[in-house]
Amino acid sequence: MSLRPTKLTLSVGTIAVLLLAACGNGSGTTSSSGLAASQVLKFPVYQSAGTFDPGEADAEVDTEISQNVFDNLWRFDDKLNLVPDLATEVPSQSNGGISSDGLTFTVHLKPNVKFNNGDSFSSKDVLYSWNRSAALQGPYVSNLSAIAGFAAVQKAAGSPPSSKNSAGVTSFRQTLENKLAANDPSLQMSGLTAPDANTVKITLANACGWCLTAWSLQGSTGSIVDQKAVQTDPENWWSKVVTPGQAGGMVGTGPFYMSAYTAKQSLTFKRVNNWWGSPKPTLTEVDIAIHDPSAIAGDVTAWEQGSYDLIGYGGNSSNLTYPLIQGIKGNSRFASQLITQPKGRTTWVSFNVGWPQTGGPFQGSSATALGLRKAFALAVDNTALASTVCHNVQCAPATGGLITKGLIGYLGDGADPLAKFDATQAKSLLKQYDPTGKLTANLKYSYNAGGLNDPVAAFLQNEWQTNLGVSVALDPSSDASQFISNRLSGKYVMARDGWQFDYNHPQDWFDNLWGYLVTPAANTSGFNDPTYNSILKQADQLPIDQALAQYKQLAKILADNVVYIPLYYSVANFAIRSYLTGAGSNTQADYYWNEISIQQH
Amino acid sequence: MLTRGTLIYIGQRLVLILFTVLMVSFGVFYVVHLLPGNAFVSDRVHGQALQLLLHEYGLDLPIPVQYWNWIKGIFLHGSLGVSLYIRGLPITPLVLRELSVSAMLGGTALIITIGLGVTFGVLAAVRQNSWVDYLLTSIAVVGYSVPSFVIASLGILIFGQWLNNLTNGGIYYPEPWTGTYGTLAELSLPAIALGFYTSGQITRITRAAMLDVIQQDYIRTARAKGLVDRVVILRHALRNALVPVTSILGPTVIGIITGSVVIENIFGIPGLGKEFVESIFQHDYNVTVGVFTIYAVLIGFANLGVDLVYTVVDPRIRY
Repeated sequence: MSLRPTKLTLSVGTIAVLLLAACGNGSGTTSSSGLAASQVLKFPVYQSAGTFDPGEADAEVDTEISQNVFDNLWRFDDKLNLVPDLATEVPSQSNGGISSDGLTFTVHLKPNVKFNNGDSFSSKDVLYSWNRSAALQGPYVSNLSAIAGFAAVQKAAGSPPSSKNSAGVTSFRQTLENKLAANDPSLQMSGLTAPDANTVKITLANACGWCLTAWSLQGSTGSIVDQKAVQTDPENWWSKVVTPGQAGGMVGTGPFYMSAYTAKQSLTFKRVNNWWGSPKPTLTEVDIAIHDPSAIAGDVTAWEQGSYDLIGYGGNSSNLTYPLIQGIKGNSRFASQLITQPKGRTTWVSFNVGWPQTGGPFQGSSATALGLRKAFALAVDNTALASTVCHNVQCAPATGGLITKGLIGYLGDGADPLAKFDATQAKSLLKQYDPTGKLTANLKYSYNAGGLNDPVAAFLQNEWQTNLGVSVALDPSSDASQFISNRLSGKYVMARDGWQFDYNHPQDWFDNLWGYLVTPAANTSGFNDPTYNSILKQADQLPIDQALAQYKQLAKILADNVVYIPLYYSVANFAIRSYLTGAGSNTQADYYWNEISIQQH
Repeated sequence: MLTRGTLIYIGQRLVLILFTVLMVSFGVFYVVHLLPGNAFVSDRVHGQALQLLLHEYGLDLPIPVQYWNWIKGIFLHGSLGVSLYIRGLPITPLVLRELSVSAMLGGTALIITIGLGVTFGVLAAVRQNSWVDYLLTSIAVVGYSVPSFVIASLGILIFGQWLNNLTNGGIYYPEPWTGTYGTLAELSLPAIALGFYTSGQITRITRAAMLDVIQQDYIRTARAKGLVDRVVILRHALRNALVPVTSILGPTVIGIITGSVVIENIFGIPGLGKEFVESIFQHDYNVTVGVFTIYAVLIGFANLGVDLVYTVVDPRIRY
């Protein structure tokens, strides 16, 4: 009594077939010469875009992608120089674009520009886009704050109503759109006018040396959107694909348009045929897979297998972990395809300096507080940190001030006095200001867990223990948003801090992080010094060549007051297949897609 | 044939499912809103800007009021609300799409579970105490002893990495998941990983039930009549042996539904399970509650379905 052996064979065979079905094989595209036949770029990102709406975009992934769809009047080139985009030139006093008092900008627009759905572009679109951004009050709205009438528009726009359901959310934006369509004067910044279809005049409430660079921030408040497209769905226009012949969708003036979007899964962008600008895009399509960060190892395998052309675009250059980097480096086929690029991001430790309710030994401007801050700063060897934690691959020691190397305002290698590791002086300062150890007992270092933050925290703990004899408890927070929230409200005595620059201007650092001129400021240390604020106010109003000395003065004030402990500058790592030309990144952002082409391989 | 008693039973169960779903959704709604942090805060969004957003999305209202608004959205607009992470995106189409992906994975896993489990169980029983029996029962023991995430990880290592290296990129398990529904190749490993775990239990139960059934008099009678083994086993023994198997179908289906949370995250499959974990980390409250509620509905209906299947498999069962 038995089943025939063939049945067993069949069952096992079924499994074998299933497993074989699981097996694929790699293939490459070929072309007779030069460019590959397929010009479809594929890469993963590890975060869904929160919104591509320039008026509300916040995350890096939002802007890194949308910079290929939306244009600004000016943009940063690959070397971070400000170059004309929709405008014919970068205004200056010498070319007559900026008035002698620095308060009026006259901007001439390129005449041949069209939105990528075919709609024409004119100065009215600039007015609409900027007024809309001011009214929406998004994360980067302060970039427009110097324009006359800005505050009045914000006030007139009011606050969104509390939603009862999804319809309630829409009503705020719908109301704004209705008012903007009717040219409601309450939503028109008085300093923004259009003398003719190709000219925009911007009048400032006060001189602003940083505004031009801030207005040029890609995919943000200075980007130009198509009113007709936005009006089709004020809430979700940015998530809609552009269909030829139909209104609506994520329409910009850039070289690509969104042709497919599956939320939390994938994005597809297609080339705009006969695009007005240059260089004309070679890529015909860009396919972006949206993955969980935990998928990075599998994606590297997929990249090696040829399923992806690059990894790291879309603000994901820090996702490649050290073991993965080593794995790529150790593979002779791919080692040369790992691209390293310093990133404009600095990480430091913030002290509670100005939040009395939080207290702690570092708070205030007394000699004791200052001495203890200095002791803790000098006890950290950030060169060793970069070597131990980052293996000199994922970061570099921050020795030239808070502003990252390569950016305007960088002090120079080794110029930051707080980066000079001196265990002897650190110990001496501690002995002088806390001889009993009472003040520095029960200290905590707070940080958001994950990535480099955990090994950095462990390194710091060891440094303070070894060099000062102070035991500092680690206080990791598994929830980044909660950590940021606490840090911004000054609830930590000592915490991980950092900044990734938005635009290449020292104001982006000194104003946002320790000043109170822009809102909302991210002054986590609570540092508030009248001299600092006064110099900052002056510097912010001057052209950068005249203001640089003052910004360096601000850097010195921060260092003299030991507001921070410099740790490291981030280093980006990209896996870019050798057959891609034009792909890469500068300290700020990915190179634009229209510079990339796929060579035969 | 649905009797009046069965219809009453179904009605009672539907009311119970509704009550359970409401309780579960409120519990989850309450808990996720109490978690520290939120979806909006960043270095650029805090203070007044954050308050504006919280107000806009109704997150500054008392939790019971928010829940009531959410429930109203479902019953009046058929809407689970909007995503907080992807600002303003309606989430009903999103979770329905993800549900279809999970259903495809779960359905395939269920086929593998039942197919492998029953086949192995029958073979082990009819070849009792032979090497076939020992081999298949050993596989079953491994199946229900090793968690699905271990099988999944080993599968990726062996078929995705080692095989790739061994064949120099010639043959391998393709990663990652592509598109919404992936390919048959991409589906195979996660479905096996998800189904293999529960197939071990089915193998064990099927084997025990078959051993019990094939010693019954009616099986001896069938053989005495000269029926071939295949007919005796498949037509006469298997049907009765499946009754106890049916009894664990409920837990098996639930095991697959809950197991998919882990498997989808390991393989990056864009289903409900992956969404569930992601939405918690992203503080996307509406999505978390929506997904959890769908899970509650699924589990409720899975149990009801299995209870109804009993009546088909075993006519003695009546409601």
